[in-house]
Amino acid sequence: MKTNNLQKRILAVSAIFVLSTTALIAAPSVATAAPVCSEKINVNLTPYQLYRECVGVTSDGAQYVVQLPLEQAFNGTLFLYTHGYRYPVDIPTLDYKVGKTPEPAPGRTVAEITEVATGILSKGHAVAGSGFTRKGWNADDALKTNVELIEMLRKEFPEIKKVIAWGSSLGAYITQGLSERNTKLISAAGLLCPAAGSVEAELKMAGDALWGIKAFLDPTIQGGNYKSVLQVYSDMGKIAAALTTVGANIAANAAFPAWPATSAAPAALKAAVPSRSAVVMIAAMSGVPTQSKSFDGSTGAGDALTSFQFASGISPALGALENLGEAATLGVLATYDLERDSGGPVFDNTATDYAAQLGDTKREYASALSGSDATNAMLAYLAAFPRMKGDATAIAKMRTLLSHEGNFKVPTITMAATADYVTPAGNQQWLIDAAAAKKGKNLLALWQRTPKSYTTFNAAGPVRLASAVYNGTGHCNTTVDQHLAIVDLLAASSSGKSVDTKTVRKVIRAAGGITYDPTFTAPLLKFYQK
Amino acid sequence: MISLGRKKSVLAAVAVTSFALVASAVPANAVDGVSATEIKLGITVPQTGPAATGYNKVAPAMKAYFDYINASGGVYGRKITLVIKDDGYKTQSAIDATNDLLLQDKVFALVGQLGTANHIAVASKVQLAKRGVPSLFLNTGFSEFADKSKYPTSFMHFPSYATEAKVLSTYIKDNFAGKKACLLAQADDFGDDAARGFATAGITFGETVRYVSGSQSSAAAAGWVQKFAGAKCEVVVTFSVTTATTVLLGAAAALKFAPQWILGSVGADPTTIRIASGNPQAAALLNNAISASWLPDAADTSDRFVKFFREVNAKYNNNVDFDANVMVGMNAGMLTVQALRAAGSNPTRQSLINAIETKGRTFVSAAFAPYGVSDSTHAGYTGFWIGKFNASGALSPVDTGRTIYVTDSAAGPVNKVAPKRAKLPAKGIPTNS
Repeated sequence: MKTNNLQKRILAVSAIFVLSTTALIAAPSVATAAPVCSEKINVNLTPYQLYRECVGVTSDGAQYVVQLPLEQAFNGTLFLYTHGYRYPVDIPTLDYKVGKTPEPAPGRTVAEITEVATGILSKGHAVAGSGFTRKGWNADDALKTNVELIEMLRKEFPEIKKVIAWGSSLGAYITQGLSERNTKLISAAGLLCPAAGSVEAELKMAGDALWGIKAFLDPTIQGGNYKSVLQVYSDMGKIAAALTTVGANIAANAAFPAWPATSAAPAALKAAVPSRSAVVMIAAMSGVPTQSKSFDGSTGAGDALTSFQFASGISPALGALENLGEAATLGVLATYDLERDSGGPVFDNTATDYAAQLGDTKREYASALSGSDATNAMLAYLAAFPRMKGDATAIAKMRTLLSHEGNFKVPTITMAATADYVTPAGNQQWLIDAAAAKKGKNLLALWQRTPKSYTTFNAAGPVRLASAVYNGTGHCNTTVDQHLAIVDLLAASSSGKSVDTKTVRKVIRAAGGITYDPTFTAPLLKFYQK
Repeated sequence: MISLGRKKSVLAAVAVTSFALVASAVPANAVDGVSATEIKLGITVPQTGPAATGYNKVAPAMKAYFDYINASGGVYGRKITLVIKDDGYKTQSAIDATNDLLLQDKVFALVGQLGTANHIAVASKVQLAKRGVPSLFLNTGFSEFADKSKYPTSFMHFPSYATEAKVLSTYIKDNFAGKKACLLAQADDFGDDAARGFATAGITFGETVRYVSGSQSSAAAAGWVQKFAGAKCEVVVTFSVTTATTVLLGAAAALKFAPQWILGSVGADPTTIRIASGNPQAAALLNNAISASWLPDAADTSDRFVKFFREVNAKYNNNVDFDANVMVGMNAGMLTVQALRAAGSNPTRQSLINAIETKGRTFVSAAFAPYGVSDSTHAGYTGFWIGKFNASGALSPVDTGRTIYVTDSAAGPVNKVAPKRAKLPAKGIPTNS
């Protein structure tokens, strides 16, 4: 490889953690089941729109908010939104504190959430959402909260004739659970960047990735079996340090970046295999995408050969690094959370055959993995590395948590991004396959695909972006227009009439970035791949 | 109030569960890519980037043959449109481009996809089998693509690398017994597949050098040569891409290392070597090298298929420099036309697959070896003839009878047979059904 050229063109990739949560509407201070209402004015619309905003708490102490257009403007449909995973503990290094603020609509920022809610109100619908008492993997609790909330809102606001439930990520998981178990409460369901199937399927990707980081980069990382939150913080720091070091080493020598000093891999392996290939191995074997918000795996810079080498060999490593860095906090905290809830370690890879799990992916990433000899050497090392042993009782308890059957008794619209690193597209594929297996006709699956080329370069090299600006990348990276398109389709589908393909295409075309094709198919999560 | 609300919601739920969410406006019998006047096919190939050299000729050549067929009325009255997408030989780009072919261009089938890693990625990420999308006449020799259970909609064009390795092994045993043989191989499925073939044939190499795809350079090649020279290799076999072969032969010439070269067919295209090296005389590096081929040599104008394809090339392909890549493209085009004809006048994707499985072995082509497809395997051609390059880069058979070495990708024997080829259809236009 043209090492010198590549060195010049690559920036240090720092594995920072990004918190995907958002702060919302001012939390109601009331501690009563009776909502407290006030009239508000939406100055973002012309003409200004008046609406009622009511706040309250459900019996479990979860704060909720509901916003309704004034009488004559309200069409009777309520959109109940369920937000995604929120860290269950304070994280001082990220200045994150556990909150209970209700979220009535999805969005990537506070401003976007307001814009989506405003947009829904302007269509004559009402919006509502809970802050939920329990954070972390709260599917079972949140489902109960939502059931109570729907019944309470119907009681308090009899003008609500129809409820459409929707949610993002874990919120989509909860929404599908609501749809399957409390079908009569809702008329339609929207699943955005969904987690689906079972918590075990979600945990496996995180567990495999954390164990891979431990095996290749720092064996002192626990990767699970946490006894205290301090151990969680410690793991977060070590993972960040290891990934940051690999990023810096790629910047220094892209063709053959050194391994972190913390790595316990044999010297022979480290001499034969660049550390960037180990990062690609971690992503590939666990199912974490290698396309990230900054790196597309197809764009290079420089002369034809240098550009090709970057796109095929380096970009997947940088993409994997970026995704792992941003997903690791969630992976560590979700593991801690589920262990705490289940009474012991719940990830067990003692029987995992990582060579089989990697499968043909090793062939797809032949260049990034530095060829079959390097791949086989890494797999041999992984085969001998100590495994994580789960606690059978804890695992059994975890398996009693809310899971999905894949039934779609109400019209359901799901939308996933092809390069989502937290809830990969395989989640949505599981839903599609489930619907197909049951010959269900109530599921409309939409996709957000990445652009063909989006890695950008400046004079110093590829640019790492601060946020996911490109469609199909990041986690729940959905625009206001895309959210409102889903609202329109959900509203139409809940009306009792079929939505024809022409309408679907018209709506999504206007929003941009959404693909509808019933034949589009994505690989399942590793948990489901046989 | 609660009971009233719930009662209404029950009614609402009943109302919405009895219909399909999306009512399709598309007729149930419609087939993507097939209309009354057109059959739309798609291909992704490296049109740019370092692998474009040579490979960028494949798709235009195929299109030229289709244009020729279209000028003669097409297939059952339908004109063939070939949508060509550039993948730069990068897997992610191949995935994206293939999705575009299926989602936007709505092609009926893929044809001539190029590159092992790319097609594995496409088959997996685009889920060709699950979607029932035919991928015809793959331009790669990775033997697993013949596995119908794993790739039920994909069909090989090239003979497998394992087949080629077994054929070359036989030649080595027959002609260089007792000589120290060494191997240069790409460290991925290309080289691994060949290694399996050599192992099956019982060939043991005195020195093996493996390189990672993309790492080939003049400096690296000098190191390879030093290893071979140090090991006193008398015969050096290569399973490398042309750019690697080029730097290897160049370094060997510079270091005056002159073993008997036996070059795998993938990395021995003289026009690509000329372009890759930037030296019009570079094909001379091939002089006296042994290689294998399943098609006639592109320079052999006495061959009726070569003569015909050259005519098509002149009229429909801007008369580009005619070489093995052009031959490959046109041969795949000829197979495709026969497959479409065999699928009937109202083809579906499944009828196309069935047609190749049941009738593919009868398809006429320029290849000297039998086409290996059946209802149990999706193998490509099953053999090679052995030739020797001259200083201008022309490959001529080492024997006057052009012996064809026929075998499979597994443990089957290598049989030497006389060449047997079906007659070129009148005007090169298939009339099968």
